Amino acid sequence: MSAPDASPHEMPGFPTPSRPGGEHDEPLLDMIFDGRAIPPDAPQEMHDLERMLAALAGPAEPGELAGEAAARAAFVRLASPASISPAASWPAARQAARRPVSRREPRRRPARRRAGRAAALCAAAAVLVSTAAAYAGVLPEPIQQMAHVTVGAPAPRHHGSSASAGSGSRRDAPGPAGPRTGRSAAAAWSPGRAHGAPPRDEPARIPARPAPRCKPGARGYQGHPGATPGWILPGPQPIVASCPGDPGKAPHAPSASPSAGGR
Amino acid sequence: MIGAAFGVVLARAQAGDEAAFARLFRDVQPGLLRYLRVITPEAEDVASDTWLQVVTGLTGFQGQEEAFRAWLFTIARHRAADAGRSRARRPAVPFAVSETAELPPAPDTADLALDAISARAMIALIATLPRDQAEVVMLRVVAGLEVADVAKMVGKSPGAVRVTAHRALRRLAGHLERAGVTP
Repeated sequence: MSAPDASPHEMPGFPTPSRPGGEHDEPLLDMIFDGRAIPPDAPQEMHDLERMLAALAGPAEPGELAGEAAARAAFVRLASPASISPAASWPAARQAARRPVSRREPRRRPARRRAGRAAALCAAAAVLVSTAAAYAGVLPEPIQQMAHVTVGAPAPRHHGSSASAGSGSRRDAPGPAGPRTGRSAAAAWSPGRAHGAPPRDEPARIPARPAPRCKPGARGYQGHPGATPGWILPGPQPIVASCPGDPGKAPHAPSASPSAGGR
Repeated sequence: MIGAAFGVVLARAQAGDEAAFARLFRDVQPGLLRYLRVITPEAEDVASDTWLQVVTGLTGFQGQEEAFRAWLFTIARHRAADAGRSRARRPAVPFAVSETAELPPAPDTADLALDAISARAMIALIATLPRDQAEVVMLRVVAGLEVADVAKMVGKSPGAVRVTAHRALRRLAGHLERAGVTP
């Protein structure tokens, strides 16, 4: 801010060096900007400024109108009514309309290409949604079976085989809010089911296990985790079944519903 | 400046008269190029983009000659800013000969003394000013815009534009004095 063009109002605490003309030249500067003639007794530098700014706003110099042909072609192509009149169907007019005016002119994509791109996007979205629905197991039975065969989606559920709920019971039919079991759609799918394993909420298909013989005072039956299907137990914890005579211990039988939502 | 006939010329150009459009072009293009040469290295490309946009929106324009100039130079300013952003995104090229060749060389004493009334020498001299001062001078002198229009374009108050223009002229006078143009 030490330049000579810093005004005293901007730097009130600093002495302003003297400059030729100072703030008194403002009317002259305004006259130069407005294109009015300055008084003859004005400083010579003002006369020089006036002369040079007049040259700056002077007529065109060689080369400054070089873009006229391109601009006129753009005008003919974009703005002239002739370009949309029947005369534009002439071959010459068509050639003129197709001629590029500038290398920076934005290209226009044909509507056909845009429609094809939109159709491809829709098809891709439909395939994605169908695949997700197949893996969630919410498709109708024949379609689910087809998805099971083709893309390895879970097999369709056979509602009639459920022994606990009774065959043909309407309670087995999945409602509009999703499967009745209370599990999420993703949880309904487990790798074991892809190989024909029964769903977790079908206790009738669990192989019958002989009831453990309990001796009075015994801790209980400890089954080997390998003896039960892997889809029943999440981990290798042994099954602990208490004897009926053991008070204070709730029975945990493999035949009980393994999921909290299987009510 | 076209003057009183501007309304007729504009109406004919809007109706598709190519000769009327050429008259508008010849009237504005020199000042447009000079203004762009001060604010961007890609003056010719930006001028081409500007005219394309003017042609596209010409039929919807309403106003007098000063409003037309303000509209056109506003478009040019925006396109120059776009070009600057695009240039900043491009990877730096070592020895950028192309850009430095586009910029007007700073005038020396001999240039100013021998060619004191050349527009090209004045553009080179104005290009040495700070960017805001150079732009205000070009918009006021070359585009012929009033202080209020320039203030709207550059986003300053009219008073600030006026002060900036005065500073620019004082600095130019100092350059001329040091160059020996002014005795």
